[in-house]
Amino acid sequence: MPAYAAKRILLALLTIFLAVTLMFIMIRAIPGDPVSILLGPRATPELKAALIERLALDKPLYTQLFIFYRDLLHGDLGLDVFSNRSVTAIVFEQLPFTLELIFAAILWSALLGLALGLLAAARPNTRLDKALAILSTAFVAAPAFVVALLSLLLFSVHLQWLPAIGAGESGNIPDRLYHLVLPSFAIGLSWVGYIARIVRASFLEVLGEDHIRTARAFGVAERKILLSYAFRVGILPVITLLGVGMAFLLSAAVFTEIVFARPGIGQLVISSINSRNYPVVMGSVLVSSVIFVVSTTISDLVNAMLDPRIRSAL
Amino acid sequence: MTKPSRLAVVRRNLKLILGNPLGALGFGIVLLLVLVAIFADFIAPYGYADLNVRDRMQGPSPAHLLGTDQLGRDTFSRAVVGTRVALLVALPAVGGALFFGMLLGMTAALGARWLDNAIMLFLDTIRSFPTVMFALAVVALVGPSLATVVAVVMITSVPVYGRVARTQTLALVNSEFILAERTMQASFLRILFVHMLPNIFGVLAILAALDIPAVIALEAGLSFLGLGVKPPTPSWGVLLRDGYALIRSTPWLVVAGVIPVILATLGFTFFGEALRDVLDPKLRGRG
Repeated sequence: MPAYAAKRILLALLTIFLAVTLMFIMIRAIPGDPVSILLGPRATPELKAALIERLALDKPLYTQLFIFYRDLLHGDLGLDVFSNRSVTAIVFEQLPFTLELIFAAILWSALLGLALGLLAAARPNTRLDKALAILSTAFVAAPAFVVALLSLLLFSVHLQWLPAIGAGESGNIPDRLYHLVLPSFAIGLSWVGYIARIVRASFLEVLGEDHIRTARAFGVAERKILLSYAFRVGILPVITLLGVGMAFLLSAAVFTEIVFARPGIGQLVISSINSRNYPVVMGSVLVSSVIFVVSTTISDLVNAMLDPRIRSAL
Repeated sequence: MTKPSRLAVVRRNLKLILGNPLGALGFGIVLLLVLVAIFADFIAPYGYADLNVRDRMQGPSPAHLLGTDQLGRDTFSRAVVGTRVALLVALPAVGGALFFGMLLGMTAALGARWLDNAIMLFLDTIRSFPTVMFALAVVALVGPSLATVVAVVMITSVPVYGRVARTQTLALVNSEFILAERTMQASFLRILFVHMLPNIFGVLAILAALDIPAVIALEAGLSFLGLGVKPPTPSWGVLLRDGYALIRSTPWLVVAGVIPVILATLGFTFFGEALRDVLDPKLRGRG
């Protein structure tokens, strides 16, 4: 296990390193002068000179790359073009809102998906199973921003049950949860479908294995078999899926934050694109990629811990 | 045993897809969308950019099946022409991702160890950006356009296809029928094109069919954010963007934009899954 963990973490670090390099290349590969692009149309000659100095654009490319990494290691993602505040501070100010949304979505969709999947696996090929399969597929197919728009229309504008705008008063927990309902519903819905399907498939596979047959032969209650014996193995794919889910949910969160005018990293990126505040755009994208790599790595590690067979795969 | 002709195989598979109610529904919707995209100019009762300020923001009526928008443009006509945009993005993007993914994946599987490692690391790196975040970074730098959307979707999907193509190739290389071909002194090119490509392509094609809904949703999403196709080109996302801005005055624009997106994602998903069940029963129920 330590060897696997070391390899997996090393791979994650390498991926992050390469992603950062790719980002650097992307910015530099854009035709035209990177300073004007990064600073946008409002750049003054002084600002330009300062940025050339800071990014060492008058130095050779490898020096620039080195400075880029050095700043990153110090947690320095550059400065906001307008306010001159540190991009790191701005991004980490917005991040909690997005994480709160993602965790809320994962929580409810994992619980409901697990329940629906177990229900289908317990009664395979019945009418209930077939209905659940169609429902899950429809959930999977529904794009988050479409669900967001429809739920906004129905529950906020039409019925006026739930708030349409913002993340709620800071410190007022019931109010914040209240503001989380619709956005987390919107991004979680397709995950209910994914999780239900994967849970069903995985449990059906496990239920066909020998140790389950033995347990049945010993007269262990079906409920206990499902929730105890099969659960340990059957749950594994869900853990992998949750790691990947972070990326999907980060993407979906962008749309949902816009639709519900919620603060968060998606809102930050979009408003920065519209105001051509490129350092903030790049900083946010980098931070979200790092979150993604870290979450897939963690899910791989947890998986390897639970299932020793995986360790030999890397 | 004689080998069935290609046409007969297609006909048999189509029959199997249509035999499954959801598959038939999906196939019907996909066929409808393709026809609408091809004949959009004949189906749309009005021009997609025709202004008619007097009749703006109307609900559905016989004259305007899905009502009109804030400039009095016929929403139904815009949704119809939007079908063309959706498919013009989805098909080349998925096709390109399939092609490059297959190329990279097969090269990785058949090439030297270091090349394999390099390609896989490259694919992992691309995969480490959340799709929408990557799309936003690219759009921010090169500006929004139809081509940007296609390129972004293609780049972010390549890793999945590459990985599958690699695994599939590795499995094939060690399979018995390829070994048999080798002992019969079949040339490398013959093995590659006659025996391996069709087997790899099948799996990737299923993946592609299942990927189309996500791509359609991504295009609509980017256009919704104002970062996809440019007005007056009517993408479904643009309809939703207009609808969102006016959500408090009229629900019809959002409803009109949502209908084709849901129809397309559901249709392609049901069709793709039926196709998977028919072509590769092993994958059934894997989700």
